[in-house]
Amino acid sequence: MHIFHIRYRNTQGTLMRILGAVSRRGIDLPYVQAEPVEHTHKVTLLMDANAKQVGQLCREWRGVVDVVDVRPGAPIQELWDHAHFGLPHPADSVGAAENARTATA
Amino acid sequence: MRKGAQIILDCLRAEGVDLAFGYPGGAIMPLYDALEGSGIRHVLTRHEQGAVFAAEGYARATGKVGVAIATSGPGATNLVTGIADAKMDSVPLVCITGQVRSSLIGTDAFQETDVFGMTLSLTKWNRLVRATEEIPRVIAEAFHWARSGRPGPVIIDIPVDMMKASVEFMGPVRFTPRVPEGGPGRAGPESTFVTMLIALLQQAKKPVALVGAGAKLSGAVEDLRQTLDLLSIPAFATVHGLGAVRGDSPYYLGMVGMHGTRAANMALDETDLLLVFGARLDDRVTGEPSRFAPHAKIVHFEIDPMQLDRVRACELPVIGNLADTIPAFFQEARRVHLPDFSAWRAAAGGAERAEPRKAGLAHPTKSFLEQLFVRMPENGTVLADVGQHQMWAAQCFSASSPRGFITSGGLGAMGFALPAAIGVQLAKPDTTVLCVSGDGGFQMNIQELATVHRLGLPVKMVIIDNKFLGMVRQWQELFFARNYAETDLSDNPDFVEIAKAYKISASILREEEFLDPAASAYVSRRLDRFLRSTQPELLVFECHPEANVYPMVPSGASLSEMVFEE
Repeated sequence: MHIFHIRYRNTQGTLMRILGAVSRRGIDLPYVQAEPVEHTHKVTLLMDANAKQVGQLCREWRGVVDVVDVRPGAPIQELWDHAHFGLPHPADSVGAAENARTATA
Repeated sequence: MRKGAQIILDCLRAEGVDLAFGYPGGAIMPLYDALEGSGIRHVLTRHEQGAVFAAEGYARATGKVGVAIATSGPGATNLVTGIADAKMDSVPLVCITGQVRSSLIGTDAFQETDVFGMTLSLTKWNRLVRATEEIPRVIAEAFHWARSGRPGPVIIDIPVDMMKASVEFMGPVRFTPRVPEGGPGRAGPESTFVTMLIALLQQAKKPVALVGAGAKLSGAVEDLRQTLDLLSIPAFATVHGLGAVRGDSPYYLGMVGMHGTRAANMALDETDLLLVFGARLDDRVTGEPSRFAPHAKIVHFEIDPMQLDRVRACELPVIGNLADTIPAFFQEARRVHLPDFSAWRAAAGGAERAEPRKAGLAHPTKSFLEQLFVRMPENGTVLADVGQHQMWAAQCFSASSPRGFITSGGLGAMGFALPAAIGVQLAKPDTTVLCVSGDGGFQMNIQELATVHRLGLPVKMVIIDNKFLGMVRQWQELFFARNYAETDLSDNPDFVEIAKAYKISASILREEEFLDPAASAYVSRRLDRFLRSTQPELLVFECHPEANVYPMVPSGASLSEMVFEE
């Protein structure tokens, strides 16, 4: 599993373009969380992709107008658990911890 | 106060637009209502796909941004193929679509489609306008992204009520991206690449250069030619790179790839250092990717970082505009001692690697195309549609005109050539525009004969008529045991009569007549007259139905495993 943190300006379609780069490659996204961070937005994505796909994705994301930064991150246990047990995606941009409480309630 | 529709046109003018292609409809009517007196000439095509391909032709011929206009719903969906084509082939394009009025968006209103959503993956950038006041900034930004970095298509979807509304208008605006670094095509040349590249060249035994469209799009053709003259290494071009390298250069080996020359493909298979100048390295160029240039280190000059490492990792990426990076390399390369590659160049272009003798079922058609091409003026433009004739035309094209060969290379969209030729002829009214189509592709936008007639454009149209969807039939012959499923077009209409119905002069030239030695002087005069005519003309060349394109690299094979006609 790979985790990516992508900072972007929340203009029309930017998040959709980020997600579209993943979906067009047939890669599942077991965890997605988008949230405002300072003056921009951040989306965190968890996915299982091979090394070539990771390279392609990073380049494609960086090529999206209004993407500010792309960083890979180490999968954190909480996100991994969400993915591993097939819990539903957050209904909206709630925090991972909050969603975990909802999902296990 | 100014209406949104007028503001759109004012902003287009400010971006230098004086020609747009389109087709009116309900949701775009306010824009059409405001057209008169706007300073923008509108060309009515007979289908929205014709409009977007014509805009592409204009853009490909000039390097300027092409503009296509359509209404909501089906008007917008009909643009989609052209938008995808422009994305694949890096064509700067701004499409403007009307949308249902904003209060109806999302209600599945009449002629409503989610244009913004459906074009997300096909465009560099797109916007749904949400207020009339946004229009100046949105248009400025659209043109910026269409032109910048690796050029491409953008789309602006404008609800009809935004076009009708009147607002205070302070004039067109300029767009400056907020963050100059990163993003599409905004990287600069790396300072260390020159030293590394020269070191690689000094170690290389069999270097080659592969030239793609990027050299032309960046305006770096002269720099590239100068550099190749200095290096004097075997060079070849992709279908979009044709014309960038002078056809008579002693080191030029022709087109590379699935239907490339034997010499080019063999050199690519043997090289130990591959210099790629502005090419995406798609699968039609590489053959089986895992066996592409198996012995080579790759140096990739590219403006779009997304194109790097698509086939396999390159040893030295040179990210930036080729108009900057090639001169930077040239300046240093001319000062250092580089190995003499003449023995390798002679071997790569040697007689034993020349094309097989001119024979086979396709020979008459290729000979016909060659005879047309040699009659073209230096600044003429050949357009090829998609299919066998496209590859024959590419194989025969040897002119040194950078924008002299235009085709739908990446998407391979049949029906491209005729409307694109309209755009090219409007962009270059004083030159010869030769549009080569197949009988299948010609019928995909045959309605644009009406546009040709209305405008009186002297486009020269050739149909290579084999009464088949020829390229598919060829694959059926070679890989599907001759099961010619649904590729038979033997009941084609009479193209001459159709052209005449559109008041366009047309005639047929049959292969037997073309080959008849007794008729050669007559045929020669016919071809002269055809190309010199100041009117639109259609010439149907009836060729052998089972002629194939060779050489051919079968799907999944390496470039060294070319198949030749038996």
